[in-house]
Amino acid sequence: MQHFPALVVILPLCGAALSLALTKIHIHLGRNVIFLSLAASFCMSIMQLRNVVLNGPMEYRFGGYALPYSIEFRIDAVGGVVVSMVALMGLITAFYCISGEVRTDKIKVGGAYSVVALFVAGMLGTASSADAFNMYVFLEITALAAYCLIALGGNRGMIAAFRYLLVGTIAATFYLMGVGILYAVTGTLNLQDMSVIIHQGGKDEAVLVALCLLIAGLGVKSALFPFHGWQPSAHTHEERGSAALIAGVMVKIPVFMLFRYIYFVFGMDYKYMKQVLIILGVFVGIGMMYGSIRAMGQTNMKKLLAYSSITQTSYFMLGIVIGAPVALAGSLLHFIGDAFIKGGLFYCAGAIKYKFGTININNFGMIYKKMPVTATLIVSGALSMIGIPPTVGFFSKWYIAIGAIQTGKYIFLVLLIISSLLNAVYFFKLIEKVFMENDKEMEDIRPVKKGELPWSMLIPMTICIAVIFLLGFFNVPLINIVLPLFEGVGL
Amino acid sequence: MMRKVIGILLIVLGLGYVFVSFDFLPAIGDSSAPAHKHVSDYYIENALKDTNSPNLVTAVLADYRGFDTLLETTVMFSAGVCVVMILGSKSPLRKRYLVPKEILKGKPYGGIPAYKTVNKDVMTTLIEILILLYAIYVLLHGEVGPGGGFQAGALIALAYIVNVMVAPDIKPLFKFTKINAVAAAGIGVFIYAFTGLLTMFAGGAFLEYGKLPFPIPENDLHPVGIMMIETGVAIGVMATIITILIAIIERVRFDDDRN
Repeated sequence: MQHFPALVVILPLCGAALSLALTKIHIHLGRNVIFLSLAASFCMSIMQLRNVVLNGPMEYRFGGYALPYSIEFRIDAVGGVVVSMVALMGLITAFYCISGEVRTDKIKVGGAYSVVALFVAGMLGTASSADAFNMYVFLEITALAAYCLIALGGNRGMIAAFRYLLVGTIAATFYLMGVGILYAVTGTLNLQDMSVIIHQGGKDEAVLVALCLLIAGLGVKSALFPFHGWQPSAHTHEERGSAALIAGVMVKIPVFMLFRYIYFVFGMDYKYMKQVLIILGVFVGIGMMYGSIRAMGQTNMKKLLAYSSITQTSYFMLGIVIGAPVALAGSLLHFIGDAFIKGGLFYCAGAIKYKFGTININNFGMIYKKMPVTATLIVSGALSMIGIPPTVGFFSKWYIAIGAIQTGKYIFLVLLIISSLLNAVYFFKLIEKVFMENDKEMEDIRPVKKGELPWSMLIPMTICIAVIFLLGFFNVPLINIVLPLFEGVGL
Repeated sequence: MMRKVIGILLIVLGLGYVFVSFDFLPAIGDSSAPAHKHVSDYYIENALKDTNSPNLVTAVLADYRGFDTLLETTVMFSAGVCVVMILGSKSPLRKRYLVPKEILKGKPYGGIPAYKTVNKDVMTTLIEILILLYAIYVLLHGEVGPGGGFQAGALIALAYIVNVMVAPDIKPLFKFTKINAVAAAGIGVFIYAFTGLLTMFAGGAFLEYGKLPFPIPENDLHPVGIMMIETGVAIGVMATIITILIAIIERVRFDDDRN
């Protein structure tokens, strides 16, 4: 059990490394090994989460040296939940990719799954790590795999990937500069040790510059409002199979890192934290409106979802800006829920593209009869985005709103409600197209004998529907798990 | 236009402000700076005792922070896979462009030889062996002197590059196909990770070389472990560079003067 934090990350990494060699033996052997490693990683992450809830945080020291001198993985309740979420999304997305497989070229089959496994391993590692530089390396693995997966989405994907490559590399450099300054003033890379030294005070200005660099770097990576330029085209043109992973999970991991830096490293009693949070609050407020308004005019389903992502990222940041423990917990719930909502909606877009070759929402007429499971997922996802009970989106926004009232930041409450109403405008438009629009008589380019889609696509979509409702019904246990941790650090 | 001007102005003003008003970074060579006191002191005082490696850089790179190096190798590997995936997604250039036969007739590689004094074929055979010898020296000696897996891998790949690009006519010492190269890169990464798993199964933490299950004195286990991971790194780096070379060469008509 004590090795689980490391094994959760190492197993997908080993799977990715061996994939191509195994593919030489049999075309699907590498793929199956990667499935096994991802499944094992998911089971371990669940057992590890259970252990964390029962026995408190787990820490893992690589190389077995004493703490500030070796690299540390630290899994607390929040990290455990995030790691489990990433592992589950990684597993079901790898399944989903089966439908888009090239059946002839060994390099492409082995390589594609290898990239997906590297991508998942990178995100798992970023969420587990408690070492500033180690996080950076994991972030780079994630980013490289993401560039590749976006570039595989055709000609426009290639351009979008190149833009993201330029912007993302500069963002990573910003993050590294921030870490460099923190190292120069604290002399350590371990986050806990760093936190202790920063709390001794005396280096406030240097830490402020580092914090600004971290916000800029991680903001670009997570497409926070003023840094979102790369995001809509990248999310629209990325490769169909892994779109859910890129749009649903990748942009959340930097937000989680930022959250850990702000609350667990710098802390609320840091001298300039109030001012930083006010500036972040302005970004978040504008971002919530901007994403919703831009999403309204889109007819491409993926682009609509991409702009909606900007709003969702702002919601997580909203919890961080408000800072009350309840709001932080709500933010985390939204964080977990949105991975499955956004991931699920991207699965839907991929499924419709797979079957009919278009994702223009004006062509969605009568799709609820042709593709019932897809339509169910679109509706439950859209309702959850808007925030209608009993889906998870309602409860997460509810907790964030309670936090806003508790701390007296009513402006954010108003913005949250307006933004949710704007969400309702374009998501009801989507639902209307699915149910009310005339049938466009689209040609079914990939007919399936039984059911609407291959089973490899239906299973991930069913899991997403289930999670959206289950997280809604059982939100209280999850909140109870993470709330004690937030009570120590929040306002 | 206006946006560009505003952007440049903001950058200049921001940089100017930072230059004028912040002086928080320690001076160069300041031995009392926090970066030289806290963790560094521990490494300097204990590295030889802990890791049995006379080279401090190797001690930190491959032992204290060995996990980071595993991930750096993974970054190399993923770069190789990405290049293969992206460049492989279109048909080769040869099929997309028509090359007029008259131009190539009689002089298959085009151009006039620029020099005739140096015999490339003989030189290459000599140079390759020297490069490979040096690579093995760097790999084996990396724990003591400067160097290590990354450099050794780059050197072996250099021998291959010299072979392919300077003297393509002579029989190469070793040859890779694309899938073999990229699979070898993965195996290099796996050797590294497997070293860690080995120590884990023997009861230690990941990459805790002192727990390697080999029947040799514990003092020697650290160099053995470092040697194992450096071999993995060398294979990974070599194969990645060769992969990228092959992936690029496949797409261009290689129009070298070979005479």
